[in-house]
Amino acid sequence: MTMSADFDQGAFVRALLDPELPAPNGIDARHGFPPERRFAVYRNNVCVGLVDALAERFPICRQLVGDEFFRAMARCYVREFLPRTPMLFEYGDGFATFVSKFEPARELPYLADVAWLEYAVGQAYHAEDAAPLPMDAIRALPPDRLADATAVLHPSAHVITSKYPIVSIWRRHMSDEDLSPLELDHGEEALVVRPQLAVNVAALPIGGSAFVRALEDGRTFGTAMDAATRLVAEFDLTGCLQALLVAKVFLSISVTPERQNASRRGPLDHSGA
Amino acid sequence: MSDKKLCAAFAIAGAFAAACSLAETAKAAKAEQEKCFGVSLKGKNDCAAGPGTSCAGSSKMDYQGSAWKYVPKGTCTSIVTPKGKGSLEPIAN
Amino acid sequence: METRSAPEPNRARVASSLPARAGLGFKSAHFSDIEASAPGIGFFEIHAENYMGAGGPPHAQLTRLRRDFPLSIHGVGLSIGGAGRLDRDHLRRVKSVVERYEPAAFSEHLAWSTQGARFLNDLLPLPYNAATLAHVAAHVDEIQAALGRPILLENPAAYLRFRSSDYSEIEFLREIVRRAGCRLLLDVTNAYVSATNLGFSAEDYIDAFPMLYVEEIHLAGYAEDSDEIGDPLLIDAHCAPIQKEVWRLYDRALARRGPVATLIEWDNEIPPWPLLSAQAARAERFLKKRPLASEDRAESEALHDDVG
Repeated sequence: MTMSADFDQGAFVRALLDPELPAPNGIDARHGFPPERRFAVYRNNVCVGLVDALAERFPICRQLVGDEFFRAMARCYVREFLPRTPMLFEYGDGFATFVSKFEPARELPYLADVAWLEYAVGQAYHAEDAAPLPMDAIRALPPDRLADATAVLHPSAHVITSKYPIVSIWRRHMSDEDLSPLELDHGEEALVVRPQLAVNVAALPIGGSAFVRALEDGRTFGTAMDAATRLVAEFDLTGCLQALLVAKVFLSISVTPERQNASRRGPLDHSGA
Repeated sequence: MSDKKLCAAFAIAGAFAAACSLAETAKAAKAEQEKCFGVSLKGKNDCAAGPGTSCAGSSKMDYQGSAWKYVPKGTCTSIVTPKGKGSLEPIAN
Repeated sequence: METRSAPEPNRARVASSLPARAGLGFKSAHFSDIEASAPGIGFFEIHAENYMGAGGPPHAQLTRLRRDFPLSIHGVGLSIGGAGRLDRDHLRRVKSVVERYEPAAFSEHLAWSTQGARFLNDLLPLPYNAATLAHVAAHVDEIQAALGRPILLENPAAYLRFRSSDYSEIEFLREIVRRAGCRLLLDVTNAYVSATNLGFSAEDYIDAFPMLYVEEIHLAGYAEDSDEIGDPLLIDAHCAPIQKEVWRLYDRALARRGPVATLIEWDNEIPPWPLLSAQAARAERFLKKRPLASEDRAESEALHDDVG
């Protein structure tokens, strides 16, 4: 019995990942000629399979730069970052960062932010399911205590702030609208959430992502409004809340317990300042 | 309660009320999107192919990573940057 | 087609309760077609790794599918042929998918796909010798212990061979079955691809395959390429209709095995539903030609009773 023959998978992997290296020792084609092309099938399976996974994951980035450019860029990513688990839907977590530093794409400064948005869409697609708070329950909340209320957001919810109109870019590609020129003259803030089975991507009013992040951190609506207003003096609170309600981002909203002696006072009148 | 806090409370109560009624009108349109088990989303996100089965063949070209020679040729040309339309010039490495 | 060897008797199936019918790999792009047309598909197969997210459409679709069809779960990431120890975290994830959906069968590959913390996204080959045999048998053991059920192990598609192999693939598989008590998934396309690439007879391979232990068959379309001296190099591409050589070999396998659950695999360049379901219908015609072994007939009748 030849116990020495447990082969060196490390050497196999090194050759697999570096096309400049020859095929590893110890393998044969059937005819005794070099097995390079045969080994190249494995090389291609690894690389092309992962590039395909990125192309599925970032379809709008791919449309933006075209197939050839995207695949070449994805190839660079694959060679630097292999998946860390066999769950390919998690692959690409570093892709947006990679794109932001990718020299050949520097003339397309919005590309990395679109990649962030697409990554968030993919995360939301696979995120935990949870039933959003029904509108009736929201309407039944005591208005006078909303400023002090906190919220639990949907586990799929994610916001992305960009100096570029990423939601407009996303939307025109999703809807196959005609691609009339789009000016890069404003930023947009994206909200991604999957309240049931379809992923929603909505634009929040500027400052909205700060508002959502504050709520995510467990701050009250009042504090969240302050956070947004500090960034944008004319923060559109109504528009922001409307977008959040339409997107069904809230799982629950908790009003603070009534304070002593406050229960008989009029609305908005409980003191403590 | 400070004036500032009072204002915030009014603003939030008012904004919630307005947002609720605005959200109602948008709801009907959204309902359509929830059908079909989320299938309609473009870009499937579910990694259909299993490993080891690509149609890539055995050509070494598919794996090369040498000098960069690609130019974006996609829909980026419809996005106007401050420097003009999306880059169509080859970029030196 | 005439075969040179006699049918082998069937023994009780232990790893699979899939019906002896044609099944398809499930693609979410086909979900509404499947919902709409309630097709005569015997079962669906999914890749475990695509259903390891917390929630969302994948689970919603699979839950619905599982209600209406027998399910086979096919793992692509356990790296059974890996030199290191099994990834316990991944085994736990597989276990939770299997427990959640209680499939009629769970299968994996005689191959490796991870090295350390890196997943290579390919089914890579291993030499067949005493050292790898001990390794693979121990891994299969561990997986079966974790899942609490025997698994099906699939023969790989090979593009080259190792000088350090002391066993033929069939001897190796037989020995794994003997040591670990697993069962086999015969991929007829892989057999044909390997035979062409490595220069052995695909017919001999099918005739020698331990059919007694085969509880599922895979069929897929291959792609044709050639190596540097112009010899044919077939690739297990899963992106084409099944070629006639593969149908012929399939028929030969069925002559020995009797009808058994048969999956059509088409994972790349996914075709429209009618084209895919036509492939399943074709496999059904091959299956119907074959007399049922008594044990399979009883199961099949029970299934039809369920359907009403």
